[in-house]
Amino acid sequence: MDNLRKKWYLSPSRINIRSGKVIGLVVLAIILLLVPVVVRSPYHMHLLIMVGINAVLAMAFIFLLRTGLITLAIAAFWGIGAYASALLAVRLGLPFWLALPASALITAIIAFCVGYLFVRNPGFGFIILTIAFGMAIVLVFGTFDFFGGYVGIINIPRPEPITIPFLAPIEFSRVSKTAYYYLMLFLVLIVVLAFYAFYASSAGRAWRAIGLSPRLAESLGVNLFKYRLTAFIISSTAAGLMGSFYAHYMESLVPNAFNVLKTIYAHVYAILGGIGFAISGPVVGALIMTISPELLREFKEFEPIFTGLLLILLVLFLPNGLLGLISSRRPVRPSESIARVGKWIRASLPVSSSGREDKK
Amino acid sequence: MELPFVQLVVNGLAMGVVYVLLASGFNLIISTPKILFIAYGEFYMLGAYILWSLVNELEFPFLVALCLAILATAILGGIVYRLIFQRIAGHFMAIIVAAIGLMMLMSQAIMLGFGTESKSMASVFTGMINIGGIRISIERAVLIMLTLAVLVGLHLFLQKTKFGRAMRAVSFNADVAALQGVNSNMTNLATMVLGCALAGFAGGIMTPVFAIHPTMGAITFVVLLVVMLGGIGSMVGAIVAGLVLGVTLSFGQYSIGGGVAQILFFLVVGIIIFFRPGGILGQPAEEMVP
Repeated sequence: MDNLRKKWYLSPSRINIRSGKVIGLVVLAIILLLVPVVVRSPYHMHLLIMVGINAVLAMAFIFLLRTGLITLAIAAFWGIGAYASALLAVRLGLPFWLALPASALITAIIAFCVGYLFVRNPGFGFIILTIAFGMAIVLVFGTFDFFGGYVGIINIPRPEPITIPFLAPIEFSRVSKTAYYYLMLFLVLIVVLAFYAFYASSAGRAWRAIGLSPRLAESLGVNLFKYRLTAFIISSTAAGLMGSFYAHYMESLVPNAFNVLKTIYAHVYAILGGIGFAISGPVVGALIMTISPELLREFKEFEPIFTGLLLILLVLFLPNGLLGLISSRRPVRPSESIARVGKWIRASLPVSSSGREDKK
Repeated sequence: MELPFVQLVVNGLAMGVVYVLLASGFNLIISTPKILFIAYGEFYMLGAYILWSLVNELEFPFLVALCLAILATAILGGIVYRLIFQRIAGHFMAIIVAAIGLMMLMSQAIMLGFGTESKSMASVFTGMINIGGIRISIERAVLIMLTLAVLVGLHLFLQKTKFGRAMRAVSFNADVAALQGVNSNMTNLATMVLGCALAGFAGGIMTPVFAIHPTMGAITFVVLLVVMLGGIGSMVGAIVAGLVLGVTLSFGQYSIGGGVAQILFFLVVGIIIFFRPGGILGQPAEEMVP
């Protein structure tokens, strides 16, 4: 592992770039860039921006899931990023372009402290601790006046206009959300590229090894705690980055937007798309789950019932997600199919034995 | 200032025993069928709402209504196990996701069925008892006594009866238990039924004392914390942690405000978990095994 650790950034990429893939990506990029030309309604733009945010949250969930940790604190770190950015901008008057990286850094530091405590308890312990953290953070935001209480923070400044020489400055306006849309695309692109790079690096290989078999990985010299902690920090930081954007996009924050239910929705996006698909799965899932409730607006109160039923049915009949239906690639690693994740986590129960095989 | 002190302790114990009951049931479900049953709080809420509607709308006597509420939640627990969890047994992530789905479904269904406003009912046992100058409401004393009786019964059931032994054997190792002639699937089903019956009981007995509202299913998350603090699978740990939480919250609400008290409790749990990863009385969890 010493070799791997030294120059992970030099290790050959595992991404196979084929010409067909390149053409597909170029077409996708053109479609994404041209969306504001076709979609004129600010409301539909708002939905698309939320799709981007939700997709990143689901990606962060899958990122950590690959190392065998199921987190329920995605929304908490999303909220930490949002509140950090909002407080920096409102209290200290920092411009958005400084508050964005600063809030990501703050999220990373908090994720390090929290993860140091949590990652030591894999299995049930980690899940329960992240749930507790997710609840505690909403309480902290709501209780202390410093964070604005349950009323939340209002009047968060918009991102400052970008001035490019010889061109009109790019204004961020609530009326046409085009600038916000492109900023969202840019941030999602950063996260996706970063995740791709991490998956392709030797650290990514170590994470995959942990996902396959923690005990085997450990015996080969992978420091489980260190790699899991790193994965926790990275996934939380990605959520925090989108939180900062969310704060300045919405211009107001309430603590209850960041409760555990939001994390559960992030899980829904990931599972609906298929958790074997680290990037495309969350995008597909978030697209469907963000747009479809708007089509069923008359039945809004039945929406959680639909979602809950959908989750149960997905787990029972479609464990590989929607993309698993159309993809020829079969999930081979245990961490890539919901049906197979966590046979090993079950063994972390104090009362169970390690030798039990699955009957299926 | 003696009166507030005793009242706070009794209030705390009354809330604490609800946590203890739920944590015990949750421990059963997590250790024998290995289900992280996030929808557990919804069963508690269902028990409370069934009892409320039986007593208030249909004017059943309290004890009959309590029995019916327990029966209904127990049967629903069995159905849910047969329909969902039995098919995905052993798939940890799938179980969590299915439980989350069930939670969303049930909580919204109850909210649609009974409305969003909170409801309360007339006390069943009125009056106060006077012990050496300390006045305690009979209602809360009955709540605490009843819980104590159920916990003792549960302990005897688990330790002395054949079925209790089967449950403990399956929780220890399902395959070895099967080799000894224990039908592990039936045992899991029975544990699920028993656990959900405990939730229904907890919801039923707390209805006359506290108000019920459609967000009370979120108690699951607090119960998770209690289970974690007491140690996963540890019955004594659940009792200690549940009572400590109840009394802490009761004092905290009186002196420093409920929100701060809850945050303090989270902090204390974090510190304890850091030093004792398995909780106060549990074994530290093993590293996962493929």
